[in-house]
Amino acid sequence: MNDAPQLGFQAAHRVGLLVLSVLLVLFVLELVRRGRLKERYALLWLAASGASLAIGAFPGIVQRIAAALRVQYLTVFYGLSFLFLLGIVLGFTVIISRLSERNRELAQELALLAHKVAQMEKHKRDDAH
Amino acid sequence: MSARVLIIIPAYNEAETLASVIEHLRRDAPECDILVVDDGSNDDTAKIARAMANVAVVQLPFNLGIGGAMQTGFKFALRQGYDIAVQCDADGQHPTDQVRTLVERLDRGDLDLVVGSRYVADTGYTPSLGRRLGKSLLSRLVNAVAGGGITDTTSGFRAANRKVLRLFARHYPEDYPEPEALVIMYKAGLRAAEIPVIMRERQGGVTSIRPQNALYYMVKVALAIFVDAFRKFTHAPEEP
Repeated sequence: MNDAPQLGFQAAHRVGLLVLSVLLVLFVLELVRRGRLKERYALLWLAASGASLAIGAFPGIVQRIAAALRVQYLTVFYGLSFLFLLGIVLGFTVIISRLSERNRELAQELALLAHKVAQMEKHKRDDAH
Repeated sequence: MSARVLIIIPAYNEAETLASVIEHLRRDAPECDILVVDDGSNDDTAKIARAMANVAVVQLPFNLGIGGAMQTGFKFALRQGYDIAVQCDADGQHPTDQVRTLVERLDRGDLDLVVGSRYVADTGYTPSLGRRLGKSLLSRLVNAVAGGGITDTTSGFRAANRKVLRLFARHYPEDYPEPEALVIMYKAGLRAAEIPVIMRERQGGVTSIRPQNALYYMVKVALAIFVDAFRKFTHAPEEP
């Protein structure tokens, strides 16, 4: 396996990766500017594009990991991407859980307040008569 | 009975049976106040409840599930200064003539929550085999974590004192809440016990636990109880 020819990181790949990473950074910044993406979640994506920039600039990092793990270069690349996506999805489910918790509390408070307001209006009407 | 008692009726699409349940409660426990929590029903549940005199109605903007609806009732009871809250289903299954039995048991003061059980003594309740199996597994799990003593852990016919209200206002499971609620109570240092009651067949509507959901129900509640064993629970502050 070790003797299999390692597909090198060709210049075209590097340029492609660098361009994609820069585009992602710009896109994320634009989303934040338009208020469509919160800063706290943007940081995650900026970190990801930072990582892919680093890989594009210094392909040696991935090659060294691949050599250490005795796997193909692409395997390391996809492996890292997969771990990142896993992290993001787990983060999302945590965020959704928190939102649904707050949603429940808000619905309950709204219902209790609506009842209180209705009571107060009824008392007011009764007092007026 | 000097304690102020609120009967909480969580109702999701229970237009068929709600009015008769409320009438029975009025007849059997006239000293208790009644709250209907309409859990975002699509039918006339809220309208029917509002048409009845001296019934408080809290209407949730959308369906939260039985746990979210009951918790709304607990918060209401806590804020309105009730000493005891009784849960009574809107489908006519819970025996309204035994609300007083639950409250009197709680009034003795040695317990924080009383469950009306279908299993203690022969109460004429015979669920299907699958349901029996599931309920027995759950009960074993609850009793393993919560120290035993309750056979009918899924019964929703219960009376709770203010300590329990303060706890449940903060921590109450979302769906299928009954077994896990007992675990939460135990973890918070409160005491529960059961007394026998005779339940009726549901008078209308459908059970929220369909067979295809039973497994999901089991696994979810089991996971929740397992995690609860490693959690800490706090009481909401006493209302001024």
